[in-house]
Amino acid sequence: MNRLSRMLTAAAALLLVALYFLPIWKVELQAPQYPEGLGMYIAVSDIRGYGEFDLQKINNLNHYIGMRPIEAASIPELRYMPWILAALIVTGLAVAAIGRRRLLYVWLGVLVLAAIVGLADFYRWGYTYGHDLDDTAIIKVPGMAYQPPLIGSKQLLNFRATSWPASGGLLAAVAFLFAAGAAYAGRTRGPRARVAVAATALAVGACTTATVHPIAYDGTETCEYCRMVITDRRFGAEVMTVSGRAHKFDSIECLASYVAALDDQQRVRSLWVTDYAAPGTLIPAESARFLRVSDGPGSPMGLGLRAFSVAQPGEQGEVLDWADVLVLVANETGSPRRLERTSLLVGVLR
Amino acid sequence: MNRRHRFILGIGGAVLAGTLAFACSRPGAGNLTAGDAASRVYVAPGSHDEYYAFLSGGFNGQMLVYGLPSGRLLKMISVFSQNPENGWGYNEETKPMLETSHGFVPWDDTHHPALSQTDGIPDGRWLFINGNNTPRIARIDLTTYETTEILEIPNAAGGHASPFTTPSSKYVVSATRFSVPIPNADVPIESYKQNFRGTLSFVTADKPGEMDIAFQIMMPGYNYDLGRAGKAVSDGWFFFSTYNSEQAYTKLEVNASQNDKDFVAAVNYVRAEECIAAGEAEAVPANYRHNVVDPHSRVAVSHQRTSVRVLDPEDCEGVVYLMPTPKSPHGVDVDPTGEYIVAGGKLATVIPVHSFSRMLKAIEDRQFDGDIDDIPILKYEATIAGEVQNPGLGPLHTEFDANGNAYTSMFISSEIVKWKLGSWEVLDRIPVYYSVGHLMIPGGDSRKPWGQYLVAMNKITKDRYLPTGPELAHAAQLIDISGNKMTMLLDFPTLGEPHYAQAIPASLIKENSLRFHRLSDNTHPEAVRTLQGGGIRREGKRVHIRMAAIRSHFAPDNIEGAQVGDTVLFHVTNVEQDWDILHGFAVMGANNSELILGPGETRTIKWVPRTPGVFPFYCTDFCSALHQEMQGYIRVSPAGSNVTLKANLSERSASQVERARNVANAGSLTTGGR
Repeated sequence: MNRLSRMLTAAAALLLVALYFLPIWKVELQAPQYPEGLGMYIAVSDIRGYGEFDLQKINNLNHYIGMRPIEAASIPELRYMPWILAALIVTGLAVAAIGRRRLLYVWLGVLVLAAIVGLADFYRWGYTYGHDLDDTAIIKVPGMAYQPPLIGSKQLLNFRATSWPASGGLLAAVAFLFAAGAAYAGRTRGPRARVAVAATALAVGACTTATVHPIAYDGTETCEYCRMVITDRRFGAEVMTVSGRAHKFDSIECLASYVAALDDQQRVRSLWVTDYAAPGTLIPAESARFLRVSDGPGSPMGLGLRAFSVAQPGEQGEVLDWADVLVLVANETGSPRRLERTSLLVGVLR
Repeated sequence: MNRRHRFILGIGGAVLAGTLAFACSRPGAGNLTAGDAASRVYVAPGSHDEYYAFLSGGFNGQMLVYGLPSGRLLKMISVFSQNPENGWGYNEETKPMLETSHGFVPWDDTHHPALSQTDGIPDGRWLFINGNNTPRIARIDLTTYETTEILEIPNAAGGHASPFTTPSSKYVVSATRFSVPIPNADVPIESYKQNFRGTLSFVTADKPGEMDIAFQIMMPGYNYDLGRAGKAVSDGWFFFSTYNSEQAYTKLEVNASQNDKDFVAAVNYVRAEECIAAGEAEAVPANYRHNVVDPHSRVAVSHQRTSVRVLDPEDCEGVVYLMPTPKSPHGVDVDPTGEYIVAGGKLATVIPVHSFSRMLKAIEDRQFDGDIDDIPILKYEATIAGEVQNPGLGPLHTEFDANGNAYTSMFISSEIVKWKLGSWEVLDRIPVYYSVGHLMIPGGDSRKPWGQYLVAMNKITKDRYLPTGPELAHAAQLIDISGNKMTMLLDFPTLGEPHYAQAIPASLIKENSLRFHRLSDNTHPEAVRTLQGGGIRREGKRVHIRMAAIRSHFAPDNIEGAQVGDTVLFHVTNVEQDWDILHGFAVMGANNSELILGPGETRTIKWVPRTPGVFPFYCTDFCSALHQEMQGYIRVSPAGSNVTLKANLSERSASQVERARNVANAGSLTTGGR
């Protein structure tokens, strides 16, 4: 390894030390009754509230929905994560000292693996807390689960839950970039190295580009199907392709029409529609629940279609799933291909 | 029509036209249009007012908190009157606050708020207020907006000239309104001139929990009306208005209005301190109470005091002088420079203004006009700086802005008059509705007034608002004084009868407002800090129940074993540590009020059950979606029965118990936030 590589490796390892002092992740809860804010930090060895009594307040509120108390003591990972982190830092510094390229690639791989496992584990905890509810819970909403999003924002009853990396987590991301940079810097111009770099870049790129792009709603974006300016936050839709491109639409109908008209369905990586109950929030189309209403604000393309992540109290209208929507749009708008449910299930849906 | 008829018609028409013109003309108001005034006082939803205004409750005995410029009522702070709404003076912790040497007194009459000052400027630490009927001074803490200390004033009757702060709040000063025999004794009332005296009291106030009477000065048997501390050039002096120099004791209305001049008493309290240090004061036996709330347990204790230091002016030359002042003066106010002492001679046709520097010179040159009880009377011409001529009828009180202007309230002509210090010329006047008493300008009694607004507090309401029967709310008006001309902005009704007020910019104290009491600081002997901490015990005929209140249940909530005739004491702790989450507590049929509990505090309510049965209790302050479910039962058995004492604690569901066990088995790390 050249000097730059070694310095970047050492810097990456040292940056990770920040995780002992700064939280990795944060979950924030917003509701009208809490103008002063409410939230919690997940640190490498502890879970604590934003304010001194925030965690206590959150647990108090959660007793209504039967969620078990969030306590550092009941999460074993918080006891051994500090050791794993120490191992990562020490091995990183050792790699920088030893200077063998192969070791660097291994270390980088372990870092990425640790991050993936960490996020997966966080997801699992979120799932458990959100679904494993006391059956004597005071407030029971049928079908409702309280899993916070892994990353991003979600409406849970009267709270908007936002999950995002905290300052330590962002510094850890910078450490990854340093480590990746170390692997890239002073690389030999051999084909094997290039493949390795390209593979890493692709892996990183694939991870990042899989995330749906936010829609601006400020008049700068137009629907790719009907060319109208996208302004209504309740109806935006999007398709992400395998190459990482985002195509945006002003309505569910336009997305459906676009998808139906695609020659190569394999190019579609993911489909997104807006949760009507949480304007501005995109949810996967294939798992969304659609409502076709005859009154109230109409959808931009006139078929009265709205998407929801969960059933809404007092909702009225015809309930559809994504396959139904594709059929409906194709038949109502006279698309070039006449679609049937069976062909969709095979070809379009994943 | 002939000529005579035309002539009569012409005259009649002219008279009619003139009458109509006269009747229909309105005096020039000089006011903003309604839209301009509205935008000046509109505080949009979600926004805050610019000023906290503290208005005395008058005959309701409490302290009112309003926001300016909106005029919105923010809070009524319980001071001297029992308040069944939150248990003040009913729960066991606060009953001692209303103890006096006359026993428990459930009401008083509050007149004059005084913000504590540092270097002559309100600093937002405390607010002081007087009890007029049973002379007392209360301290209100401006982090919790609660009364934390009350000191009774002995050798006094009617604490009207009270409390007024010195520029560093070293003292808050009080004077007796009525003269009485000192010490009080069984004497004929007509022996007034021989036996009745007055006192001025200097109370040390700069240490919370330690209010004490530093000394009292014995004075002639007049009525003492109001006071003001000197500031800046007159720092170290204090001024009181007196009336009834006639020493009348019946039908004062007539008999106390005979003398052309009464007095402003000028007290050199630095001189008083010297005399006291030299041993000139006498320790006189007197019974009075000092009541203090402990800041950690929030339990009040009433201490008996038995002696007070009294200084007689004949033993301390130079401690007090009398300045003749027309005529039955009411208000006495000192301008921001400390040089001018304005007296509101309520029956006078002028506003007399004494000069501090001339007063000092008159003393030096011994320009005396006799004395009373060894107190020199200064010559009027020697001390007077000027008189504001024809200000209006019935001048009462004066406040000041930062531009050398003075504003005086006129009770009889129902207006505020603005005039210039030094030139004594009247600059502007504005009618107020109706019959104004005090006025208040933010900082208007301090060394550096904030100015901007003036609040007029009126005594007669009549048609200002929708009528509500014979007893009407008193009217206050908000006036803009930022320009050359005063303009009326807002008219708002007030609770009780605000006499005087104090205001401070919200930005100076807003952040100090406490959001909750820390449970970890709660040293109340019966506090419960966890949901499992409650319980019941019997001590003879007293049954103590310790209970936690949390959204949305009480722990315990099923109680048995109480008997008819027991003294049952519910010690309830609100264990929340969250902003604005309160719980209430009330028992069916209790001969007592409810409890309202702030987060983190413990309060006790006493109940003596009279009949056997099962009695519900419940949370009275809407706390949560399940507030209606926040209830419990207490079983009362006949006296002498052998029903076991029982109190269930928070029963958790089976799955919660299992989870708790898992947590315990997993070993415990520090759980943050508890």
